[in-house]
Amino acid sequence: MNLSEGSTQRLIACRECDLLQRAVVLSEGGTARCPRCDAVLYRKVPDSLDRTLAYALAAATLFVIANTFPILGLDAQGNHTSTTVFGTVRALHATGMSAVAALVFATTILIPAIDLAALLYLLAPLRLGRVPPGVPVMLRLIQAVKPWGMVEVFLLGMLVSLVKLAHLASVHTGVALWSFAALMLLLAATAASFDAQAIWARVRVLP
Amino acid sequence: MADETPVPDLSDLPEAVANTKKRSSLQLVWIVPIVAALIGAWLAVQAFIERGPTVTIKFKTAEGLEAGKTKIKYKEVDIGLVTEVVLGEDRKTIVATAELRKQAESFLVEDTRFWVVRPRIAGGQVSGLGTLLSGSYVGIDLGKATQSRRRFKGLETAPIVTGDRPGRQVVLRADELGSLEIGSPVYFRRLQVGEVIGFKLARDGTGVSFRIFVRAPYDRFVTAGSRFWNASGVDVALDAAGFRVQTQSLTSILLGGIAFQTPPDVQPGPPSEPNTEFTLFANQGEAFEHPDTVAETYLLLFDESVRGLSVGAAVDFRGLVIGEVSAIGLDIDPAKMEIRSPVEIRIYPDRLRARLLSLVSPARDPIEGIRRYIDRGLRGQLRSGNLLTGQRYVALDFFPNAPKITLDTTHAPLRIPTVPGAFEELQTMLGNIVSQLERVPFERIGDDVHRVLVRLDPVLQAVDKLVKDLGTGIAPELHATLGQARQTLATAEHGLLAADAPVQTDLRETLREVRRATEALRNLSDFLERHPESLIRGKQDGRP
Amino acid sequence: MRAIGAARVGLLACHACDLLHRSIADTDASMCRRCGARLHPRKPDSVARTSALLISAYVLYIPANVLPVMETGSLFGAQTDTIMSGVVFLFVTGSWPLAALIFFASIVVPLSKLSALTVLTVSVHRRATWAPGWRARLFRIVAFIGRWSMVDIFVAAILAALVQFQTLATIRAGPGAIAFGAVVVLTMFAAETFDPRLIWDPIEERRG
Repeated sequence: MNLSEGSTQRLIACRECDLLQRAVVLSEGGTARCPRCDAVLYRKVPDSLDRTLAYALAAATLFVIANTFPILGLDAQGNHTSTTVFGTVRALHATGMSAVAALVFATTILIPAIDLAALLYLLAPLRLGRVPPGVPVMLRLIQAVKPWGMVEVFLLGMLVSLVKLAHLASVHTGVALWSFAALMLLLAATAASFDAQAIWARVRVLP
Repeated sequence: MADETPVPDLSDLPEAVANTKKRSSLQLVWIVPIVAALIGAWLAVQAFIERGPTVTIKFKTAEGLEAGKTKIKYKEVDIGLVTEVVLGEDRKTIVATAELRKQAESFLVEDTRFWVVRPRIAGGQVSGLGTLLSGSYVGIDLGKATQSRRRFKGLETAPIVTGDRPGRQVVLRADELGSLEIGSPVYFRRLQVGEVIGFKLARDGTGVSFRIFVRAPYDRFVTAGSRFWNASGVDVALDAAGFRVQTQSLTSILLGGIAFQTPPDVQPGPPSEPNTEFTLFANQGEAFEHPDTVAETYLLLFDESVRGLSVGAAVDFRGLVIGEVSAIGLDIDPAKMEIRSPVEIRIYPDRLRARLLSLVSPARDPIEGIRRYIDRGLRGQLRSGNLLTGQRYVALDFFPNAPKITLDTTHAPLRIPTVPGAFEELQTMLGNIVSQLERVPFERIGDDVHRVLVRLDPVLQAVDKLVKDLGTGIAPELHATLGQARQTLATAEHGLLAADAPVQTDLRETLREVRRATEALRNLSDFLERHPESLIRGKQDGRP
Repeated sequence: MRAIGAARVGLLACHACDLLHRSIADTDASMCRRCGARLHPRKPDSVARTSALLISAYVLYIPANVLPVMETGSLFGAQTDTIMSGVVFLFVTGSWPLAALIFFASIVVPLSKLSALTVLTVSVHRRATWAPGWRARLFRIVAFIGRWSMVDIFVAAILAALVQFQTLATIRAGPGAIAFGAVVVLTMFAAETFDPRLIWDPIEERRG
């Protein structure tokens, strides 16, 4: 029995129901689903490397912008306060909520940063024709870290705060708010165009 | 777990289900990061361009300063933000780093000042209460220098005078602080024209120097001839001129105050240079009286008791106070067994100069001048100023009859010779009378009288004879005259003085009438007393 | 077509790279040939771990809703807000879409997550065979939606950072925020430790 990729149809097991099945060759843009439990098995993204790299680069730029500039500004009684994302972490830490501060920091700054960094670390050399060391580690890291990046949730939190504060005082959005919105979209695009199989294929091809 | 079931046939296994999705063009994708990068670059450049200058300010305390929160305001407009507050290297100060807006770049010059605006209650001034709600902020006073600067040392309190107020600063010197403090008002003709902006102890501890600010346009009234005095509280004076109460304003009673004016007899002159130093007098009287110009010191030696003379007593020259007593002592010379009181006086020739211009010529050497006066009879004398309190003063006057004394220039201060005081004069006068009486030759006068009497004796005998003649010759005539006179008197007696003489009867009648009238009046008055309404209503019938 | 799980025929799929391997008997630790990840037929101690995490989440759920999540201090006094009172406040002040949103994200979602995971774990533990497809979908939804409960914590964090006007108004996160954050984290971990393949095992076994 041939289990390696050399055969015309390789075997895979569904991640969610362990169904042993034959993999099909997908056309560009197709997704393969498990016949038993309908889970997404794999997808074929055209030019996955390029796309993912492009989106990741853009996301990285926006990530920097989103963290440098303030997200929201509040004007009350002639006083003006504004905060960056890290400012919220600091505020939590300053009032003693260090655990929550760490949680917010991890989910909004640390994890997305690791995610993007790992992606860039992998994709950039691959695109340029070299294999970086530690590909498997990186891939596992990316996969492990994915559920913990909560940029989109943070964006929703910003919108809710905006509405809540608009009652009290004049609030204005900072540059970072829009950067976060764009970052959210780009991260989603990155995830959508990320194809681990393509990377594996590329890794095997390159010396 | 290793299962023994054989691997099934490949075709037996299900196939994954494929869903197709539309593909999108590749090249367009790269636009995305490029656009993102452009946006990022543009934002970065914009932030960099808009970035204003950064300054560091040293303060003694960081109270009210919060990194990232405390703003810098100029005329209530935000122009910067404190970004960092750290302990200075010397551990005695704190260093605040602040970023200002671009437009504030021109503000940062050599003499720009920073301070922290906190709620402050001092000197009758309550300020900065708004900061209780909004948080403290850093105030800035723009300097006028041209050299830019980035490191500043902050002030601990707000400066009273900010650079944009025109006016002049003046330095005053006083013996003590009194009731003045920062913010105490400065008055000119009862108008508040400035305030005290600072004070400090003189380096040698002999006084306090004040710095006041007089605002334009009143600062041109500060001239070289201006006198400043402490107008705090209420000035009460009880002296020879009477009882006087003076005050500048209610504020000055509470806060203290300084007033200034040019005395009427002094030339005002041009406005003084900024930061010139003046003396702060204790009250208006002193300020106007005491020009702080030349004072000449002289010594007077009095042989008499100086009881009643005190330091500060006036030195009077023909009714004009030209100085004061500055010291009184007692000098005992054991060799000659003489006791003298040296009294040191201070004279301000300016007073003489101002009023009696013709008398004193300023060009003259003062020693020569004094010598001439002493030659002419200038002497010092103790006089009684107030008989009630026994106070005395020193009078300088010309005594032409005084014994001539030449000025002794070997001692300093110069000595003005003295003459005894008025009481002493009386005493001497009496003494003179007594001694004169003693000199009268009473014995000789007695001898002379005796001789005169001896010569008078025959004269008296002659007189005696004359009297006898008178009795024999003239006497009988006189007797007849006297008898006639007696007769006349008897007639008169009868006519006038007899009890029923018509004159007497008439007199008696008149007296009776008068008596009746008086009685009637008395009755009327009694009646009126009992019935005063009868004045109006008339007598009611029948009643007495 | 035979529906059979890979593990039943001695094949192990790498959870990271999907490569199938022949399982080697008597070894606990086998590594993926391609990516070096540890191979497990099923997630280790899935039921035990998931149950433990769920129980902890239940325990912390009470303080998360009872303790205040946000403390507002102002000149007029201090005010505390639990999750529920925040929702009520939003509703009362007229922004009921937001109120609905927060209600959904902070109350419905955690509760549904907890109950769904409980149902799944219990069913797996009891080797139930009812509606596997439905259960699988349930699990997918739970895993996806869990992260959105964090929105309340983020709101508290943002407000605490912005509203710092000293005496005028200050907001700080309350102790409820820690508990709530812990609940979210625990349920997310629980979703990670739960092995959905266990849903299908009893069905295959029954089929023989």
